[in-house]
Amino acid sequence: MAIVETVNLKKVYLLGKVAIEALKGVSLKVKEGEFLSILGPSGSGKSTLLNLVGALDKPTSGKVFIEGVDVSILDDNGLAELRRRIGFVFQFFNLIPRFTALENVELPMAIAGLSKMERRKRAIELLEIVGLADRANHKPTELSGGEQQRVAIARALANNPRFLLMDEPTGNVDSKNADEIMRLVRHLNEEKGVTIIMVTHDQRLAKEANRTVYMLDGLIVDEVVNKP
Amino acid sequence: MKPKDVWMYAFSAIKLRKLRAGLTTLGVIIGIAAIVALLSITQGLQEAIATQLQRGFATDTLIISAGGGMGGVESSFTLLLNDTKTIEQIENVTATLAIIQRVGYIKNADGKTLRVTIVGINFDSYKSFYESTFIAEHGEIPINPGNIAVVVGKRVSDPWGNGTLFCTKDDDVEIIWTNTTSRPLRNESYVGNVVAVLREIGGFSIGGPSDVSVYIPIQQAQTFFGTDKCEMIIVRLKNDDRITIESTAKAIRDAFGGQVTVTSATAVLNIISSIFSTIGLFLTGIAAISLLVAGIGIMNIMIVSLMERTREIGILKALGMKNRTVLLIFLTEATIIGLMGAFMGIGVGWGLAELVVRVFSTNGNLAGVSRQGQVATISMAKINPVLTPTVLFGALFFSLTVSLIFAVYPAWRASKLKPVEALRYE
Repeated sequence: MAIVETVNLKKVYLLGKVAIEALKGVSLKVKEGEFLSILGPSGSGKSTLLNLVGALDKPTSGKVFIEGVDVSILDDNGLAELRRRIGFVFQFFNLIPRFTALENVELPMAIAGLSKMERRKRAIELLEIVGLADRANHKPTELSGGEQQRVAIARALANNPRFLLMDEPTGNVDSKNADEIMRLVRHLNEEKGVTIIMVTHDQRLAKEANRTVYMLDGLIVDEVVNKP
Repeated sequence: MKPKDVWMYAFSAIKLRKLRAGLTTLGVIIGIAAIVALLSITQGLQEAIATQLQRGFATDTLIISAGGGMGGVESSFTLLLNDTKTIEQIENVTATLAIIQRVGYIKNADGKTLRVTIVGINFDSYKSFYESTFIAEHGEIPINPGNIAVVVGKRVSDPWGNGTLFCTKDDDVEIIWTNTTSRPLRNESYVGNVVAVLREIGGFSIGGPSDVSVYIPIQQAQTFFGTDKCEMIIVRLKNDDRITIESTAKAIRDAFGGQVTVTSATAVLNIISSIFSTIGLFLTGIAAISLLVAGIGIMNIMIVSLMERTREIGILKALGMKNRTVLLIFLTEATIIGLMGAFMGIGVGWGLAELVVRVFSTNGNLAGVSRQGQVATISMAKINPVLTPTVLFGALFFSLTVSLIFAVYPAWRASKLKPVEALRYE
């Protein structure tokens, strides 16, 4: 069974009085343990697709199934609980500036209701995995872009998510840091078995994935298997 | 999210904007302080007056004076000394006391005079009526006084309050009054001997002892003033409950064909209390308006904070936070502001009340008024602001309620933000 499946997904935005069709019917299946990259120019609808899969937004029509469950039947509470099982990594990191790296990693676990002891232990483990144990007590402003993104990845992994959604994870870091982040992502996928869906417009990074789908104007136009 | 974590999160958000949160809290502090100060001062005033009144006239007494009706129509009716016998027949009456009084003068050995109220009474029964106030500081109040025995109030002995005595125990003094019914007017006088000086009474009294009176035996007053009429008769009742007071007052009025006025100490007390309650309530209402303004301040800071934190809310939601937790965080922030405002406001208000009382009362007296002709004196005792649990919890409750009410809308808006839109917010 696919861990993520979309069926004829459509999304229409209203920009003022103009309706913009961001997705025009996208059907996609992602298997457990897969590393999928979605490649396309800006405005092709790849971020919209990711937001729908991440239950951050609702489709205009079509369906999203996560582990076989139809997301459209969930209410706000159900969606919130679903999001706890999905790890999201954003282009702009989206860390809480007043919290330290450690506290940022703890936050999803606090939201899920874990005790202080449990979440501290796990947060330290996660920071070790992303190689930032020594920066645990630094605030985001005291970290480089690459470090911030690694903290964000540690945060995304906090609640043992079923899969990671990454929206241009290297879009805001220099190439050296980008390579490091990609190494971490591959490590998570290959060693830890984390399912990953990554949106990018960088052909080179997209090829790191097992499979790449190409999007243009709200549709999947091509699909390439990089590594079987 | 655990409640403790919600608190910690809300607290960290407030800490981030110390100045703004501080100013908002200041608004609450001012509102609460004003309410607490005004309420505790009025309450203190009310208590001070109540104690003074209770001391000045016993609650189980009625005061009967000539002249019925409300129109103030001159009446030829007068109360006689032996009307006490009629009154004693009435149910619930346990004792009576007739009082003759005139405005007159007292002259000391140095030839100085003081204007005083001369009160003719039966020393022994007066003492039983006013056990706590008709007490000698110097000398002794005789049970069977000689005709020339004189008891003086504290302010007659020590009129300037500085220890320079006008007269004291064992002094001979001349008691003088002007007979206005004789033609030509004539000053009547006799030499009396001060047997006792009363302890300071202060306060407000009708019929009861006062600091500015001179007391002479009733027989002497009868001869000296040449009358068997009396100005008032004081009646003691079996108890001081309202029904007894009202029914007896009516019975007495009826016995004199409505020609007398019956004043109940308790009734006067109640009227004065209710006046002060009303004033207190009015002032509190004004103070409450300032708290409303503070509430709008809270709403303002919350809305600004909501806009600033839209992205943060988006992140929280993307991480799986439920709408009601977001709502709870915002309401908790308001609660923290409300609590801080309440506690600090109560402290500041209390200090303010103490300050006001200290500034306005000199020597512990707010005012000293005496209307000697009426044997009614007012001199306020020191007012102590009173902070009752009701005021305390009321302030706390009001502060929290205002804070929460004005936070509900911003908190609700925050909780309803769509994650994807909130994340896109710059």
